[in-house]
Amino acid sequence: MSAENFGGNHPMFDSPMNDQGLRIKVIGVGMAGSNTVDHLRLNHANEIKLAVVDTDNKTFGSSTLQEKLLIGRSVTRGLSAGGEAEIGRKAAEADREQLTKMVEGFDIIFIVSGLSGGTGSGAATVLAEAAFDSGAIVIAFALLPFSHEGSRRIKQAEETLIHLRGICHAVIPLPNDVLLQEVSEDASVLDAFAVANDWVARGVQGICGMISTNGLINVDFATLRKAFERRGGKTLFGIGFGEGPEYIKQALASLDLCPLLHLPDNKYIRKADTLLVSLMAGTDLPMNAVNSIMEQLTEKFGSKENTILGAVIDSEMKQSLRICVFGTTDVGTTKVYRPTERIERAIAARAQQSHSQPSASIPANKPNIAPSKSPKPGEDQEEFTFSSNEEQRGLFSKTDANLHDGNDLDVPTYLRQGIKIQL
Amino acid sequence: MANIMAQSKIIAAVEMGSSKIVVLVGEAIEGRTVNILGMGEHPTNGIKKGEITDLKTASACTHTALLKAERSAGTTIEGVYLAATGSHLEGFSNRGIANVSASDNFVTRADITRAVENAKSKALPPGRVYVHHIRSGFTLDGRPVDDPTTMAGETLETSYWHVHGDEMKISNALRVINGFSLNVDDMILSSIASGRMVCTEEDRKAGVLVIDIGAGTTDYALYKNGNAIRTGVIAVGGDHLTNDLSLGLRINAKSAESIKLRYGKAEIDKDDKNDNVLLLGDLSIGDRPIPRLAIYKILHARIDELLIIIKNKLGSMASPQHVPAGVVLTGGTARLPNIVDAAERIIGLPARLGELDSAVNNRDLRQHEYATALGLLYYGAHAQRPRDERREAGILSKLTTFLKFN
Repeated sequence: MSAENFGGNHPMFDSPMNDQGLRIKVIGVGMAGSNTVDHLRLNHANEIKLAVVDTDNKTFGSSTLQEKLLIGRSVTRGLSAGGEAEIGRKAAEADREQLTKMVEGFDIIFIVSGLSGGTGSGAATVLAEAAFDSGAIVIAFALLPFSHEGSRRIKQAEETLIHLRGICHAVIPLPNDVLLQEVSEDASVLDAFAVANDWVARGVQGICGMISTNGLINVDFATLRKAFERRGGKTLFGIGFGEGPEYIKQALASLDLCPLLHLPDNKYIRKADTLLVSLMAGTDLPMNAVNSIMEQLTEKFGSKENTILGAVIDSEMKQSLRICVFGTTDVGTTKVYRPTERIERAIAARAQQSHSQPSASIPANKPNIAPSKSPKPGEDQEEFTFSSNEEQRGLFSKTDANLHDGNDLDVPTYLRQGIKIQL
Repeated sequence: MANIMAQSKIIAAVEMGSSKIVVLVGEAIEGRTVNILGMGEHPTNGIKKGEITDLKTASACTHTALLKAERSAGTTIEGVYLAATGSHLEGFSNRGIANVSASDNFVTRADITRAVENAKSKALPPGRVYVHHIRSGFTLDGRPVDDPTTMAGETLETSYWHVHGDEMKISNALRVINGFSLNVDDMILSSIASGRMVCTEEDRKAGVLVIDIGAGTTDYALYKNGNAIRTGVIAVGGDHLTNDLSLGLRINAKSAESIKLRYGKAEIDKDDKNDNVLLLGDLSIGDRPIPRLAIYKILHARIDELLIIIKNKLGSMASPQHVPAGVVLTGGTARLPNIVDAAERIIGLPARLGELDSAVNNRDLRQHEYATALGLLYYGAHAQRPRDERREAGILSKLTTFLKFN
């Protein structure tokens, strides 16, 4: 999974808001969030608006984005929040009106934020509240600090994470420890951040891809909204990619190894109440393969009641498949999302304004999901891959499978959990 | 069946482990003490994950070990106590209830028998046989009692932890011993045999979790009120650590084993440096550096997973209030540095390495590898007691269904 997966320079700027399509905005909050959004390489760049919010003047100097919002000038005088969540929150409260304006009129708002920073944790929650009130689906990517950044930052991040889960429709935690284990030891800092950005890009793309119209199987916006009805639960998120003659098998295996499915948080509790599955493949994807993939995924994530499938066909993807699963769990204490009167009004007003259906989608005639460059086999290969299952069992290759919860315990744990070993 | 009335009997404890076969020969004197007369060991072939994969080779290895043991003891073995392991062994808990029949409400022997039979009445699917019925004690009208006889009450309840295994696999193990013209007097779970040796009676009364991490399997037993109330076998052991290292570092199994023994560690510390260690360490050709963190990561993932599986299997039963004596680790893999810390962190109970029962005088035998075999001898010796003297220990009052294969 190299950074090239989603490479390709697509025009990112000067794209007028498309009134017909689904309005999506990605907002980076704080230094880490802004940097990530700044370097986000999306294939839908035309339809997706990018923006950054920070308390620090310096962030905007380096940002190439058009929409920048400096908040809390009265609180921090344009200096950063200094790692204090309280200051970040105050800064955001002071400029809540501007934040509300920023999120108004969008269907999906992605918030990208580093939870260890002051602005990232304090302002993100305020922004999430504003976005939620505007009636949009709010999905947050929360970059969690390294474990060596000290317990104070980790504690702040954890508290914010719980807080965010209560506000957003879905929160996807991205622990730096896990993301950066993919980076080789001698990679530059830029490379390392590119990897983190890549995860965000893949998530945004996976969700947007599902609602596209030229898909094999479509999901409309209303369905998506239904899936995110419940707030406060934990979100399960994983991606897999496979190519070559056995691309379907490979994609499923790589999904299995997705480190985000092996976070200590949801280790061994990988069950979702509502599961969204987004498939992207070439024209050669057979329908019965889709069925068998869905069967395996629902089995694995245990959501037989409510599984939503979106499949996108991209003519440029031959013999390759990208899977993105997105599950929300109902942990009992979650609040069912019921649009308040204010939110309903906001939605209605927006629908009138744009003269389009509420479940409008991204225009069909544009190439939708087109990772312009797929990694060549063997390129940047750090990890030794095993071609067959038997080879992964080594010493135990000729013995009975050692099954526990669907895992073969004879296969090394690090292989099954996608832990990268640097040699 | 064992000759119970014999005053002394030469018995052998046989543990067919995945790395080596251990045979201890002892003379049980009136069921009170055991004189250990000799021992035999042989590296194993044909046994993986505690199960026989090649009957011929496994038999040859076991017979060599038995022969060595007989030679060192200078006598012939009269009966064998065999350790049972392998992931085919499973257990379930079942209760038996009997209403006290006498009009004066005093519990009679017949009531106990009825409760016990009731608890044991569950039939197994074809191909499975019972190995143990371990009683977790009696309750009389909800109160736990040690011995309900002649106590007054209305409802007598008992619950059993039943262990059953695959008929074919058990009969294969018995066939190996029978091939040496010996009978298996009894088969005892590895975890229960080692559990007897590595913690004290007080521990087992208070509640203790014994985890025996061997080469091919991890056997655990949870004790409460002196009885094993849960047991289990997970077919993951030290061999898996070696195999993981061999695959992850792309080295052969022999080097992986040596790396595991020289540098292995179960936890990754913050100040662990990612320096390199040498594969062979003897400056010979083919030696190459291996990053230390790669070794730690591979082992850490495996040990964590193993302990999480055990924790999940026991669920709320492994909470500190139920298991005040904590976790006792034993078996060859318990020598892996920091494994105690890993157990404490994951299971959330105080953990320590097991110490062999002080009753074992021989220093050479007071090692983790021999805990199971010594435990077998202990149970073997107790089975030789004259019947009236023998307290009806839960563990030995089991059906001997498997002996039908003899």
